[in-house]
Amino acid sequence: MITTDGLTRHFGSLVAVEDLHLEVEKGEIFGFLGPNGAGKTTTVRMLATLIAPSGGTATVAGFHLGSQNRTIRQHVGVLTETPGLYKRLSARDNLLFFAKLHGMKDSVSQVEHYLRLFELWERRDDPAGSYSKGMRQKLALARALLHEPDILFLDEPTAALDPEAAKVVRELIETLRTKERTIFLCTHNLDEADRLCDRVALFKTRLVAVGKPQELKERMYGRCTVVHLADPGPGLEQALDFPFIKRIERVDNKLVIALSNPERENPLVVRRLVELGAQVQFVNELRYSLEDLYLDLMEGSGASN
Amino acid sequence: MHRISIIVIKEWRESLRNKMILFGAIFLPLFMVGFAAYMVYQGRGLDDLPTQVVLFNTALMYFLLLPAIIPLAIAVYSIVGEKEQSSLEPLLATPISDLELFLGKALASVIPALVLNWASFGIFLAAASALLGGLPPHVLTPPWLAAIFGLSPLLALFSVGVTMLVSSRASDARAAYQFSSFAILPGIIPLIIYSSRKTLVSLFLVGVEGLVLVAASIIVLYFAIRVFSREQILTRWK
Repeated sequence: MITTDGLTRHFGSLVAVEDLHLEVEKGEIFGFLGPNGAGKTTTVRMLATLIAPSGGTATVAGFHLGSQNRTIRQHVGVLTETPGLYKRLSARDNLLFFAKLHGMKDSVSQVEHYLRLFELWERRDDPAGSYSKGMRQKLALARALLHEPDILFLDEPTAALDPEAAKVVRELIETLRTKERTIFLCTHNLDEADRLCDRVALFKTRLVAVGKPQELKERMYGRCTVVHLADPGPGLEQALDFPFIKRIERVDNKLVIALSNPERENPLVVRRLVELGAQVQFVNELRYSLEDLYLDLMEGSGASN
Repeated sequence: MHRISIIVIKEWRESLRNKMILFGAIFLPLFMVGFAAYMVYQGRGLDDLPTQVVLFNTALMYFLLLPAIIPLAIAVYSIVGEKEQSSLEPLLATPISDLELFLGKALASVIPALVLNWASFGIFLAAASALLGGLPPHVLTPPWLAAIFGLSPLLALFSVGVTMLVSSRASDARAAYQFSSFAILPGIIPLIIYSSRKTLVSLFLVGVEGLVLVAASIIVLYFAIRVFSREQILTRWK
């Protein structure tokens, strides 16, 4: 649905996006993660044909960036970090304006559909300026969806919202997942990305890593089993001399053991520990968060900001 | 053309909900009409026809200022308002072209300026006629009619071009107003010429000013359109 090949953008001597190679599949929620100033918004602006790349090529919804920009804009919806609504106009007038710009023939019914879907119908005639932040963001999301775009770019959709409003918007995004629609989610909210995204890209001017969150974590950290022991005696680490154990570490009364196939190897490890007289209390998998992965990768990325 | 008209209507809807613009668009022409009518009223009963004509022609000058002043408020808000609301990016993400957006915003300012100016001119003529018991002869000469109906669109266009250029660089409406106000200068030129009494307003003078305005408008609009590219709007506008 989105393919970029060496996409680059300079602002004078500043490199905002460098040599971006990316493939985003149809129907997936793709998280584009990076710190402030990493070039996420610049990437979205290039893909949404708002600014031109300095180098590289891209296709968006099957159309070529540069030569088919207007067609691309008919197939994408953009939600910017700030809602960017016309505050003096009513919610309905805001949406009708954009529906007409998209050349929609059934603009009135489509506007009604989205106002009802996002529970804004009762206040449709109120000026958008009188809405709460959460309502404004919902209205902006409705605006981005009005023309039923194939690709939805969401740039920090919950960044300026309180936790409650952010939850509402996050739940809305979850409901937008369809086989036909691709969602490109720019965020530095890692918990949000972990919950919503099928795949993520970690980005800091350059692409640092891309893949499914779980796969990336496994690639980075491997899989670890934590064995909680009642009274761990000395020498257990050395006694566990299985060749499949990648590393073993003692933390308080726990053994953290890196394994390649825990489903097969855990029973062997536990049996050996019991044979050695250890009292096993619990066994669980050590789960790394996307935040751990992000911080470790970004720290070691060496990509310039 | 369809998208241009959508932009024009949106701009008008917003302007109608903006008390500052609405007040300016209604109050200013009414004030000018009242002032011009009062001026010609001063000449009532005078047997001296030239004095009546001078008063009348001076009053007509206001209708060369109005088309440059009225669009200022609408055009300033049209750009600065979009900046303040951060609404340009979502707008540019629609299939609208940069030129359509520019023309929509320009026409949304020029059309009301012309309608209000010509309506004010009509009201003034009616008021003057009522106050004086008929219009004095030799006041509505072809040069004046050519100035009011021919120069007004050019004055409005020039004013809008300057305002859009200035507003693209201004971060608030006040600064934009201040710097845009020099756009009314071309409207003052006939007043200066006429006040100096060096020459009468003639078709030749109106034609020369018209040509100067066409050239100035082309230059200003050329730069305004260049500034109005989405690339510039999103990366350079403050």
